[in-house]
Amino acid sequence: MLAYIGRRVVLAVFTVWAISVLSFAIIQLPPGDYVSSYIAQMASMGSVVTDEEAQNLRIQYGLGQPMYVQYLKWMKLIVQGDFGMSMEWKRPNTEVIGARLWMTVLISVAALILTWILALPIGIYSAVRQYSVGDYVATFIGFVGLAVPNFLLALVLLYLGFVLFDAHIGGLFSPELQDADWSAAKVWDLLKHVPIPALILGLAGTAQQIRIMRANLLDELRKPYVVTARSKGLSESKVVLKYPVRVALNPFASTIGYTLPYIVSGSIIVSLVLGLPTVGPLLLKALIAQDMFLAGTIVLLLGVMTVIGTLISDILLVWIDPRIRLEET
Amino acid sequence: MSQRRRTPQIRTLRSRLTIALVFGALTVAIAAGALAQSKSTLIGKLEGPEVVTDPAKLPKAFHEAPQLAEQVKAGKLPPVAERIGQDPLVIKPLHEIGKYGGAWRGGFTGPADFWNGYRCCSGPDHLMFWDYTGDKVTPNIAKGLDMQDGGRTWVLHLRRGMKWSDGKPFTADDLVFWFEDIYRNKDLVPTPSAAMAINGKQGVIEKVDTSTVKFKFPEPYFMFPDMLAGSTDVGGQAWRGAVGLGAYAPAHYLKQFHPKYVGQAELDKKVKDAKFDSWVRMFLYKNDWSLNPDLPVLSPWKTVTPANTPTWTLERNPYSVYVDTAGNQLPYIDRVVLTLAENLEVINLRAIAGEYDWQQRHLDLGKLPVFLENQVKGGYKVYLDPGDYGGDMVIKFNLNYDADPEIAKWFNTTDFRRALSLGIDRDQINETFWLGTGTPGSVVPTDSNKYNPGPQYRKLWATLDVKKANEMLDKIGLAKKDAEGFRLRSDGKGRLRIEIMTLGGQFVQFTQISEMIREQWKKIGIDLQVQEVERSLALKRTAANEQQLGAWNNDGSEHLFTFPLHVFPFEVATVASSGPLYAKWFQSAGTQGKEPTGRLKELMDKYRKAFGVPEKERIELGKEVWKIAADEVYIVGVIGMGPASMGVRVVKTNMGNVPSRQYNSPDGKTPTISRPVTFYWKK
Repeated sequence: MLAYIGRRVVLAVFTVWAISVLSFAIIQLPPGDYVSSYIAQMASMGSVVTDEEAQNLRIQYGLGQPMYVQYLKWMKLIVQGDFGMSMEWKRPNTEVIGARLWMTVLISVAALILTWILALPIGIYSAVRQYSVGDYVATFIGFVGLAVPNFLLALVLLYLGFVLFDAHIGGLFSPELQDADWSAAKVWDLLKHVPIPALILGLAGTAQQIRIMRANLLDELRKPYVVTARSKGLSESKVVLKYPVRVALNPFASTIGYTLPYIVSGSIIVSLVLGLPTVGPLLLKALIAQDMFLAGTIVLLLGVMTVIGTLISDILLVWIDPRIRLEET
Repeated sequence: MSQRRRTPQIRTLRSRLTIALVFGALTVAIAAGALAQSKSTLIGKLEGPEVVTDPAKLPKAFHEAPQLAEQVKAGKLPPVAERIGQDPLVIKPLHEIGKYGGAWRGGFTGPADFWNGYRCCSGPDHLMFWDYTGDKVTPNIAKGLDMQDGGRTWVLHLRRGMKWSDGKPFTADDLVFWFEDIYRNKDLVPTPSAAMAINGKQGVIEKVDTSTVKFKFPEPYFMFPDMLAGSTDVGGQAWRGAVGLGAYAPAHYLKQFHPKYVGQAELDKKVKDAKFDSWVRMFLYKNDWSLNPDLPVLSPWKTVTPANTPTWTLERNPYSVYVDTAGNQLPYIDRVVLTLAENLEVINLRAIAGEYDWQQRHLDLGKLPVFLENQVKGGYKVYLDPGDYGGDMVIKFNLNYDADPEIAKWFNTTDFRRALSLGIDRDQINETFWLGTGTPGSVVPTDSNKYNPGPQYRKLWATLDVKKANEMLDKIGLAKKDAEGFRLRSDGKGRLRIEIMTLGGQFVQFTQISEMIREQWKKIGIDLQVQEVERSLALKRTAANEQQLGAWNNDGSEHLFTFPLHVFPFEVATVASSGPLYAKWFQSAGTQGKEPTGRLKELMDKYRKAFGVPEKERIELGKEVWKIAADEVYIVGVIGMGPASMGVRVVKTNMGNVPSRQYNSPDGKTPTISRPVTFYWKK
């Protein structure tokens, strides 16, 4: 068991390094650099960057150096625990990301919990009562949830919120509390703003999870051990929940690997539409502005999250599924 | 006017179509009706506050905001008269003397949107600035500017007793420090600015006494006052300090970050502690008006929470030199709060919901019906500020295009360019995309502009005339057509196809308009391909001389000599070029690139000459430049003088001293041209 985890950890470190090289290379792929996108951005805003100024900026940011020199410079900083300065925000990257990270985690965890609270019971219900009216209704709503693009849903909810309830447009705080220090009022204000984004983000995932749960459980329910359990006189709820559901949970555990990075970045478009101060829009902006150290740091963070997530799912799987455990030892 | 009334059906139908396109089912037909009624009332009379220079009219006593008065009482601040100094900058408000208090809420899109703050809150802090028409240079931070030595020397008089926002005196030393230790430091400013030079020869700044400096140039530089007033490299600390320019800097504060004044070891430690990678980056950050709350400034509001946080907040500068005609220290409004919006839709929605007090940046003309519909509910009024420049949208021919000799040949044929311009139905575009608020025509600026060559140039080669366009194209050697009616290339290689490069996500929908032009050009047998590209790619393609036609605007070109980017091939790094090699030739004073010939050369010569001649002669040269530009159609004007670029303004109804129309331009830093220091809350 320990050897198994140890092997995984070593592999994980190597993967993270590969991710850092790849992410840096990918960020450099589009034409131009931070300065050229800065010039274009200024032009879009009706402003001008002179040739002299552009030249000055390139010298200051060291953009004329070859790519590997820039990469090594970046790596050297990271090894020292310094993630560099964002070119666009002119603040340390850790600060820029850090402020938004907790908001992102909050919203995504809320969305995740909502997804599971809805998806697991409904999934179990539709499997056990296959082809019943309830199953059809759940399936129908599930497919609608899956098919409606969540940014569109976000727009519609924003508009309705404004027209019907005079709600504040976007963001996670009311304007008057935006800069206030943390207090009970601010926490309450935040809690009032969380449900809508969490609902929108969770909805598509819910439909997917319902289908997965239903399909897996249906497979299990037909297996002989379920029949045996029933024939031995176990109560129906015990028959279903104790064994088949536990096995059907495997995919949930193995998708945690992807859920963790999703928590950080999965909500880019919805966050943009709803004006949420999360990491998603930050990554998008950094990529557009070719602010490579900021974008690189976020991509690296996502990479590390995926690796850690996968590690957690591996361990979880070993824990909940004895078959895997036995194979390994 | 009577002709307009005769075609109401068509107008309504078209506007409805547009709205249906843009908003789908959300918008109701009421909006179209409201729009038709209010179009005339939305665009008001150009007006604005004035700078008072007559010594007889200056106020004798000064007053201040209540919270500052309290601080004076508590002994935390010196009395108001001491803070302002002997020579206040007196502004006569547009309507009336205002009241102190309140906050101004607006939206911005992140640190790259620093223009937002300059435009609202920098005062401006230019040494000289424009009057509200944007035409005349008036004193501003400096009390006056005298010409000597036939335009070679400019004597600048500062305001006596004026102070930085930390209470330290603002003197000639701050200009000399900027010039000697920032501008001339090769690390801070590696390449010198063209604004500090005439005919490529750099000028110098010399101190005369505490409140007087001289700008000396080797040759006459009659444009210099305009350069101080415009958004140039000598355009003040707020706008240019972050790149080591601006013409002055707070010496007493910045010296602690400059290697000339502190030991290298001490400086290195400061750089390391603040996590910068070099002293240069730290120094420029420290001189950044939008980012450093500790920076002493001259602007009426100063940054409290910086532009790289979710809320950019600015508060009144207790040492502001601005006063109204009754002696009240300005600004009236205590605080400006700009909240970060992750995207433009959120800004537009918040404006519609009445969450902003004055917002015009990022508002979308296409949403005008929705803005109007929600005026009462949101407690605001909508104003339109059309620009003075001739092109909200222009199309540039790349005169240096050489990848395809056939296309290069036609781009350099004057009648080809003219014919294409005649093939555009500008009225249709105006109705669809400008909701009828723009003016169709050539590239020349508004008729009242001092460089406008005459009203006949508005329509020169800029009306719809399909018959004439076809005749011209037939005549120059493009008479043969294929089965679908498109003209064939003269070298026998099939259909003549030309490409236009556009950028998405701009103030004007260049791609969609180009698609409409593509349809219109079918009637003159021209096959246009529209290519929308990402902006970095656009820059790369123009730099590599790969662009054929480019769509953009010519905003700012009404100030021909401070903003000439889109009048002729001027700028090398641009997202739409009319000739990168010619531009390089012009910028390098003939050492690189390709020398133009004929009338383009004549245009460039006249343009260059204008900087060194007195204003009257300069105006004549400016008119000549526009005449050539309009007649040769290097750049096709489509729709101009419209409110598409930052010209839709939403202002709360209880805000005072709000102009019904303002000069809208980057050079005017609109709305700063209307002096936001005089805005106030009526209740």
